[in-house]
Amino acid sequence: MAFLELNALSKRYAGAAVVKDLSLSVEKGQLVCLLGPSGCGKTTTLRLIAGFIEPDAGEIRVGGRRISAPGQSDPPERRNMSMIFQSYALWPHMTVFDNVAYGLKLRGLAKSEAQQRAETILAATKLLQLAQRYPGELSGGQQQRVSLARALVVEPETLLLDEPLSNLDANLREEMRFEIRRLHDKYRYTTVYVTHDQAEAMTAADLIVVMNQGVIEQAGSPEEIYQRPRTEFVARFIGGTNVLRGRWDGADAVACGNGLVLRCGSGEFETGEGTAVSVRHHDIRISRGRPETETNIVQGTVARQIYLGSHRDYLVSLPDGESVRAVAPAGLSIPPGDSVWLHLPPEHCRALAH
Amino acid sequence: MSVALPDAPVSIARPQFRLDLLRPAFYALAAVLVVLVVLPLGWLGYYSLVDKDGQFTLANFITLVSDNTLRKPFGVAVGMALAVGALSCAVATPLAWLVARTDMPGRRAVRALVMASFVTPPFLGAIAWEILAAPNSGLLNVFWRQLTGAEPYDALVNIYSFAGLVFAISCYTFPYVFTLVANGLDRVPSDLEDASSILGARGWTTLRTITLPLVLPAMLAGSLIAVLQALTMFGSPAILALPAGFHVITTKIWSLFQYPPKPGLAAAASLPLLLITVLLLQGKAWVLGRKGYTVLGGKSGEPRVTRLKGWMPLALAFAFLVLSLTVLLPYAALARTALTKSGEAGLTLHHFHFVFFEFSATRLAMWNTMLLGFSTATIGTGLALLAAYMVARKPVRGAPWLGMLATAPVAIPGIVLGVGLFLTYSHPQLMLYGTLWILLIAFLTIEMPAGYQQMAAAFHGIHPELEEASRILGASRLKTLRLITAPLLRTSVVATWCFVFIGTIRELSATILLTTANTKLVSVIIYDLNESGDMGAISVLGLMLLAVSFAVVLLATRLPLLGGSRLPTLR
Repeated sequence: MAFLELNALSKRYAGAAVVKDLSLSVEKGQLVCLLGPSGCGKTTTLRLIAGFIEPDAGEIRVGGRRISAPGQSDPPERRNMSMIFQSYALWPHMTVFDNVAYGLKLRGLAKSEAQQRAETILAATKLLQLAQRYPGELSGGQQQRVSLARALVVEPETLLLDEPLSNLDANLREEMRFEIRRLHDKYRYTTVYVTHDQAEAMTAADLIVVMNQGVIEQAGSPEEIYQRPRTEFVARFIGGTNVLRGRWDGADAVACGNGLVLRCGSGEFETGEGTAVSVRHHDIRISRGRPETETNIVQGTVARQIYLGSHRDYLVSLPDGESVRAVAPAGLSIPPGDSVWLHLPPEHCRALAH
Repeated sequence: MSVALPDAPVSIARPQFRLDLLRPAFYALAAVLVVLVVLPLGWLGYYSLVDKDGQFTLANFITLVSDNTLRKPFGVAVGMALAVGALSCAVATPLAWLVARTDMPGRRAVRALVMASFVTPPFLGAIAWEILAAPNSGLLNVFWRQLTGAEPYDALVNIYSFAGLVFAISCYTFPYVFTLVANGLDRVPSDLEDASSILGARGWTTLRTITLPLVLPAMLAGSLIAVLQALTMFGSPAILALPAGFHVITTKIWSLFQYPPKPGLAAAASLPLLLITVLLLQGKAWVLGRKGYTVLGGKSGEPRVTRLKGWMPLALAFAFLVLSLTVLLPYAALARTALTKSGEAGLTLHHFHFVFFEFSATRLAMWNTMLLGFSTATIGTGLALLAAYMVARKPVRGAPWLGMLATAPVAIPGIVLGVGLFLTYSHPQLMLYGTLWILLIAFLTIEMPAGYQQMAAAFHGIHPELEEASRILGASRLKTLRLITAPLLRTSVVATWCFVFIGTIRELSATILLTTANTKLVSVIIYDLNESGDMGAISVLGLMLLAVSFAVVLLATRLPLLGGSRLPTLR
């Protein structure tokens, strides 16, 4: 049985449903990322788990015990969780040490033991020298580590992270991504991590849950989500992609405009007009001459090309006005206005349900 | 980084039962606020509509409209208030600009002195101006006669006049406009003006087309507050208009309580004043509410500073004149009167001796004032804190109503509240009139909006995640309040307490209707002494009131233990 279970969870604000009938199971020790654009309900879901808000329907169970249900929820302080907040939420009137030791004091630990545990975690997060500073005297990255230490020191059953890296600059963010994964591998807390950044999710997560408008679009491992997106939303949100539409022939091909017939290696076809097919930018091959194949090719005009050092980024206009982005080796330079052939190999064409 | 955490799990100590005090606290608070705000207004409306036998009647309103002695004070009061608004704005705006946007020396001193006139109770200022500009005995007139050899009874200025009243009130309302406009100018980012300059506008054009329009809402809002203050003020008109032989609406309402009392008529006369107040506040909210365009907005870059060059002497003279008239001269007059005795040369402590040791009423009044100041400040801050917490964190459905209740008294003029409370608490069954309780209730109501708004602003500055972080780590709501919220709010709580305290010890408008021989306060004593013309004693009491006020302000801002500590803040 899963450790953390959300069953048919719903939450409405002022009549508008923010989380709709959401169910999710998280195994003990797993790191789950809730990924989605702002307003998709991921933070609300996290706050439901934490107990800051109560669901309107459904329930949350931890280790089989029900902790949230309409009208009968445990308060946050009785859930044995801890959380890292977007604002870090360090108490400005306490030193780093006091911030970290706070949860230990609440648990009634003897002073010497609390001191020892706090120092251990401060050392693990490289904060020992800063123990007597106030949060206002620390840099953003240091504040972030204090908040990490404060959450980890109480050894929670469940660790919750709410966009923990969004206030950091790009370099630090990348470093902290790996740091969070490393600490998770070390301590193996059941972790729910909310982010809108796919790179963060890919680095950290065992399981990525892509959310959109209050529902789960798809849940799976990073590879699954990237290579086998089920819906157009997931395909577009995780890694850039081109989505082309056409009519499904009933077998494995979709006829788009411009004489392009796309045979698809995988995916679920939607019946009727407008069956969507996703092809990632870097899976498209671009050439001046016509490729040696009958299907999955189309001719277009280079609208724009940008040299990016490791590769070139092309925007190719098809005759009917549609645009396709493709990534080509840096050495292949075709000026705008020239005619080119695009080859979209069947094994990289994935049909999408809705 | 190979340090491992100790293995032993730390589990949360689970309390056997938990008592949720939130709901009871919420209902209790709502009940208190309803009693404070809704009850007196309800009785006010009731009494205005019934006759002596409790039958419904419109007679009071008919009298109000038909009786010229009642109608006229309304007109006079509105004219006076508008004049005050205009004068305040005309004086305060240039001064604010000089302080916020020029290189005039002594800008900090000007701000500090304007704050001093803010703290001065208006009725004390009116009395100071009596000492300075009464037609016969006024120091300025005496000096002028000595200088020019004019006839006795000739007067340069007469404070007992409509113009004198407008002037004396404006001295203590212009800080409202000043503060709003100066803050506005502080916040108008210099890039807005730089953008105008880069497009080719000269300094004067930029000032006229960009800067002034940007602070226009602040000017309007400040003037509206000045108008409101003037309209609802009792002390200054009672001191200056009554000797001049005319009434404004507040003094008229007060006179309706003199023998033979006509409470029904007073109630009816209060309602239009209440209505005007509500409308003015709506107007102010509307003017300031169109955000994005006015005082608010990001602070980018230092405000641009205009070099005064040749205009410097003129600017300094203007600032000095304003501050002389509003602060320096009145304070000097009070000090001189407190320390000299007519017919005796040199300085004397006679008046101090009289006030503190001979005059029997002062000791009781000082005790009462301090007692009420402390209890109102403590209880009021507590209520405001609780209400602000409920509204900010919404732990209970319906919490926003508390905020509306707590801010509603801002629209109730002191004298109207006085009438309402008198009618509410002078029943045989519930006789609080004549006790300190009724004054406590009045002060709590009057100070609630300001106290609540300060505490609400303080909560606004504390990110809810700071409390949530404590909850998720295992602290209950109460424990979080004690360990996290309270320490973070300490500074604001102390500031609010001081604010309420100062507001309480200078209150006169409601007090004047609710006080009796046994419940005199210092402000009432000052008013009584003014009627008997004992200026020396008044000056001593007034200076004492000011000294206490300034001491409290200083204490609040300077004492590290209470507030001004080195609390490092996040971002």
